[in-house]
Amino acid sequence: MRAILGLLTLLVLGLVFFVVPPAEGLGYYVRLAFFHIPVAWVAVLAFFISAFEGGRFLQKGEMLADAKSAAAAQLGFFFVILATVSGAVFSKLTWGAYWNWDPRQTTIFVLLLIYGAYLTLRGAMPAGRRRAKAAAVYALFSFLTVPFLVFIIPRLYFSLHPSPVINGSGLAMDTVMLAVLMAALVDVTGIFYGLYKWQTKRLLAEGENV
Amino acid sequence: MKSSLWPGIKLVFVKEVTLGLRFKAAWAAMLMFALTTLACVSMALQGAPLEPKLAAALLWIILFFASMAGADRSFVDEDMAGTLSTLKLYGAAQMVLWGKLLYTGFLLLCLTVFITPLFLLLTGAEVVLGGVFMGTLLFGTIGISAAGTLIAALTCGAQVKSGLFSILMLPVILPVFLPAIFLTAGALGGGSAPLSYLVGMALYDGVLLMGASVLFDYLWYED
Repeated sequence: MRAILGLLTLLVLGLVFFVVPPAEGLGYYVRLAFFHIPVAWVAVLAFFISAFEGGRFLQKGEMLADAKSAAAAQLGFFFVILATVSGAVFSKLTWGAYWNWDPRQTTIFVLLLIYGAYLTLRGAMPAGRRRAKAAAVYALFSFLTVPFLVFIIPRLYFSLHPSPVINGSGLAMDTVMLAVLMAALVDVTGIFYGLYKWQTKRLLAEGENV
Repeated sequence: MKSSLWPGIKLVFVKEVTLGLRFKAAWAAMLMFALTTLACVSMALQGAPLEPKLAAALLWIILFFASMAGADRSFVDEDMAGTLSTLKLYGAAQMVLWGKLLYTGFLLLCLTVFITPLFLLLTGAEVVLGGVFMGTLLFGTIGISAAGTLIAALTCGAQVKSGLFSILMLPVILPVFLPAIFLTAGALGGGSAPLSYLVGMALYDGVLLMGASVLFDYLWYED
């Protein structure tokens, strides 16, 4: 698994730096997108996993689900920071400012706040079932913000962000770029999965979820 | 909500009001926090006119943080006084949640009624769309009460409580907070105030109330 991911990472890096053509209006700055989009995707995926495992804990009471929820949130926090920083750099290079409360910047920032709040809550409570329950409830409660982040925020603020890769009119990207982006998405998702399994085991071994 | 729940909800609400009026700490903290913040803003402005957007943001910042000073006490006080176990023994989860939620809503409505006229008076902001303004304040208060009651229950077992309530509240309440600022700005004459936002706030309030109701059972009952 590690070897495959290592090879895929090298392949994606090679493709990004030597094969991907400069994008119209963005030039070679577009290379950053092959890092930014996958880490942002994983940050959102981790949020879903954390809420899902939180729900499973509330249903079945298994501490393994709590460990999985916590591991997803911890990694999600790391990935959301990467997405925020890479997004801010991309924003500075293309629009001239690090931050302008673009709808997607707002969404990722709210996600950062949710992860921060979830981890603060876990840090403020002693390990055990009570903490697991509180964390699971918060993960699910904060999940209620998703429709707002997806549907309301884009209506409140003007956006400079490029259209989503897959929009109503089909695929809005060069074929080579799209293929490399998909490879990068698979690669970063794989890295996340590996780290997620490792972190879950670590949390269980450390007795964090007893 | 089942009609058999109502007597229990009323009992919890009356208990909260009685205790709140007897000890007054939550009320005093909340109202004084709001007053102090408003005084600071007004003094800093020195009578200078305030843009509607800025006025709306300031009003909601005052309301949000003042409510944080009062709404977080509902379960912690019970825990410290040792009455939480008794309440768990006699009160069904939904009765306790809705009773406390009603009380928090009442507390925040009193805060809003107290601070909003003062804010308008001291900043010189004028309400152009009264209905939108009132509706926004009402839906904002309901949202903060719904989220606040559940999160107050969450933070009850935390070892470090200072600031935790606000940290947990902000991301969850942003879907109410941002449209509220937008609509309030419109109501104060700073641009449009689409009614769809008000409907969106009401819907999100409904989602928060439903979410709090479903999730509270897990917190209230031991395994």
